[in-house]
Amino acid sequence: MTRLTVNGASVDIDAPPETPLLIALREHLGLTGSKYGCGAAMCGSCTVHVDGAATYACVTQLGDVEDAEVTTIEGLSPTGEHPLQRAWIEEQAPQCGYCQSGQIMRAAALLQENPSPSREEIVEAMSSNLCRCGTYVRIIRAIERATREA
Amino acid sequence: MTMKASSTAAAAIAVDRRTFLAGTAGFTFAIGADGLQRLARADDVGAAPGAQPNIWVSIGADDLIRIVYPATDLGQGSTTALPLILAEELDADWAQVRVEQLNADDRRYGNPKFGMVLYTAGSSAVQGYFTPLRLAGAQARATLIRAAAAHWSAPEARLLTEPSVVVDPETGRRLRYGEIAALPEMAAVEIAEATEADLKPASAFRLIGSDTPRIDIPAKSRGAYEYGADVRVPDMLYASVVRAPVEGETPVSIDDSAALAIPHVLRTVTLPDGVAVIGETQEAALFGKFALEVEWTTSAEARGFNSDQDLIDYAAAAEDLSQDGAVWRQTGDAAAAIGAASRAVERTYLSDYAYHAQFEPMGAVASVAADGQSAEVWIASQTQSWSLRTVTETLGLAPEQVTLNMRPMGGSFGRRTELTQPYLRDALLASKAVGKPVKVLWTREDDVKFGAFRPAAAQTMTAGLTEGGALSGWRHRVAAPSVIAYFNPIRWSQVEPQDIITMRGAENKFYDLGAMRAEHVITERRARLAPWRGIGAAYTSFAAEAFMDELAEEAGSDPVAFRMALLQDNPRGRWLVERVLAMSGWGRETTDTALGLAFAGYGDSMAAGVAEISLDRSSGVIAVKRFWTTVDAGLIVSPDNSMAQIEGGVVHGVSSALKERISIVDGQVEQSNFFDYEILRIDETPEIDVEIAEVDAPPTSIGEVSTPVVAPAIANAFHALTGRRLRHMPFTPDRVLEALA
Repeated sequence: MTRLTVNGASVDIDAPPETPLLIALREHLGLTGSKYGCGAAMCGSCTVHVDGAATYACVTQLGDVEDAEVTTIEGLSPTGEHPLQRAWIEEQAPQCGYCQSGQIMRAAALLQENPSPSREEIVEAMSSNLCRCGTYVRIIRAIERATREA
Repeated sequence: MTMKASSTAAAAIAVDRRTFLAGTAGFTFAIGADGLQRLARADDVGAAPGAQPNIWVSIGADDLIRIVYPATDLGQGSTTALPLILAEELDADWAQVRVEQLNADDRRYGNPKFGMVLYTAGSSAVQGYFTPLRLAGAQARATLIRAAAAHWSAPEARLLTEPSVVVDPETGRRLRYGEIAALPEMAAVEIAEATEADLKPASAFRLIGSDTPRIDIPAKSRGAYEYGADVRVPDMLYASVVRAPVEGETPVSIDDSAALAIPHVLRTVTLPDGVAVIGETQEAALFGKFALEVEWTTSAEARGFNSDQDLIDYAAAAEDLSQDGAVWRQTGDAAAAIGAASRAVERTYLSDYAYHAQFEPMGAVASVAADGQSAEVWIASQTQSWSLRTVTETLGLAPEQVTLNMRPMGGSFGRRTELTQPYLRDALLASKAVGKPVKVLWTREDDVKFGAFRPAAAQTMTAGLTEGGALSGWRHRVAAPSVIAYFNPIRWSQVEPQDIITMRGAENKFYDLGAMRAEHVITERRARLAPWRGIGAAYTSFAAEAFMDELAEEAGSDPVAFRMALLQDNPRGRWLVERVLAMSGWGRETTDTALGLAFAGYGDSMAAGVAEISLDRSSGVIAVKRFWTTVDAGLIVSPDNSMAQIEGGVVHGVSSALKERISIVDGQVEQSNFFDYEILRIDETPEIDVEIAEVDAPPTSIGEVSTPVVAPAIANAFHALTGRRLRHMPFTPDRVLEALA
């Protein structure tokens, strides 16, 4: 049993400590907004925040986040109205949408650290997350919009 | 109350009034035959009485307008575009529209571009459903007007509509569509007929051509969209499948003792070409899979698949001009025209296997009843028809014994189109064995290793040039296997030897090439294959348009003038080229970059593209700095989403052109994940400028139109920068350095 805080609530997860955090979130807690893309920290579809830092949930073991605070896309904003989410909708960024939770969580961590990043800083931070539909142009636009409107 | 329904969507749309009767209690129109069950379910969701003038739409007393979505969602945006087309002619208030996924292989809703099979592929949904959905909307609107006219005792011809309201301009009376649906007159009204003459002129469009936001995007921005992989049903178990390392091998012996020792691992199930580890939790199934030991047969023919040698063999077949291929398109006598020319130019272009890299790996959830007499499945695929068929064929059930739940896909790009879907089959067999619902999810490694690829191809281009440098004969030979023969053998038996998946693009119909011949040298299949974004055009347009630049050079012409001479009869094509040249500043001075042009398209849609590239000569890395593209796809239903699809198609094209390569050694795929099958990242993505032509023509296709022009534009830019040619895609650094040497 591992105890941690997920989206502000204390939870106990009955899974071996070597279980990927992503599986614990998705299958044990039903928080399916974070996605499995590669299991190898290569695509970022699973990105969540662990104690505020953008983290690949697919290569993070449950045992390593005991007592940590984990935030998923479901907990980013109580109403789903985070400035990034509004900007994502405004710019019509998603296509298939599968990678977008991870993109938004990565961008949210960036803005937390740097509320007005330059285009170069946006591109650098977001280069850890892949999108096969090729929505990159709109991801940049959406982050720039959120930066302006936040 | 049920009535006879027509057997095809086309017939249903034409609406034979005798086949429709008014409903009774609840004033609900329903249709019978095989549509009844599904419609009954749709009614359950709505739970309000209302009107259903045809199979596509029902209008509730609650004012909600429910429109059937016959395709599936792989990110292309047609969950918005298709209902929008119907809503336009219905004059619906878009805010009241609800979209209902079709969860059945009901061919009345089939894709007219695919012989009424429920099949979401080939960028065909808007093109195929455009007229049927407009007619359905017009007919529903006319029926509502008729009921209102009866209620008011007013002449139908006098009545007008505003969004979701019928108005009598003479009396000022108004009735909402929902109010009309609940009128007693609705039960008795004769369903109106609609023909193309009843449709709105384009100038009256209110929704079509507007930037109506996509309905799926809010949920996709909040992590709330339920994909196939997200499905969880009560009592569900998890299966991780160890698949045969080489196609065609089967398990000889299985040692599952270590796997079964893992807590929550229940058992293993032997599959035709794999072994499933069944766990109560996903992690147990996954850990069990890693602990499983399987010995496989070693006799499969596929052990001889070696992609390097196989491509050499394909090239030899392409270059052997004495062996005729299957004709894909022929005009005049190309060989005679080339023979009569003052000289002939011949080049061979190569391209490797490419992997879809769709983000959601293959998977399915299946629940087979204990008696084996029924099953329910949750599946993310591009086809209700072939998913259902996989179930009925695997379990020996009739279609009515199967409940299908189509889930959205985390990308697909052609991957989930096959006649028999092994991931679904595995879930069915596992569920049948354990007597509970089972979820199968492939790992990324499974998805790469057991992928089905865009075929490797060798293409030999031959053309004649006159003394004056004009084209005299064009021959395009594509040596590649048949994709259709592998991924849909039933279809192949109907179309052989015409393989649109392998050959598309080689028809090169947007130019006037004079005497031309495109032919398919059908080579042996040496990998699992599937359609891939752009299908054949993803490589045939590379060969054709890189060759076009080489021909221009040989003719002493320039790439623009040489092409324009072949576009004299295609003013829309000429406009695309002229416009993209203007956008890119073609001809301007550049220092460390160069520009390359290509003109191609997909199906009936055309695109021109210009790439601006730079090159690191020491590493051999090409960077695409900017990409300009112009597209003609006829009438545009959703402008902003069309831009998004074109942008994405460019990114896909750059990724494919520069990086993507699957290699096979002794029947095993060498790559395994995104660290050795790299796709384009955001920091490698060019600035992209898109312009869509405004033309008065029916809609064609958008989703794949921009991918084919990208690779040749890059290859042509590379020549402009270095004087060297790139003839083997992808243009990886080693190949670039070789070209520079």
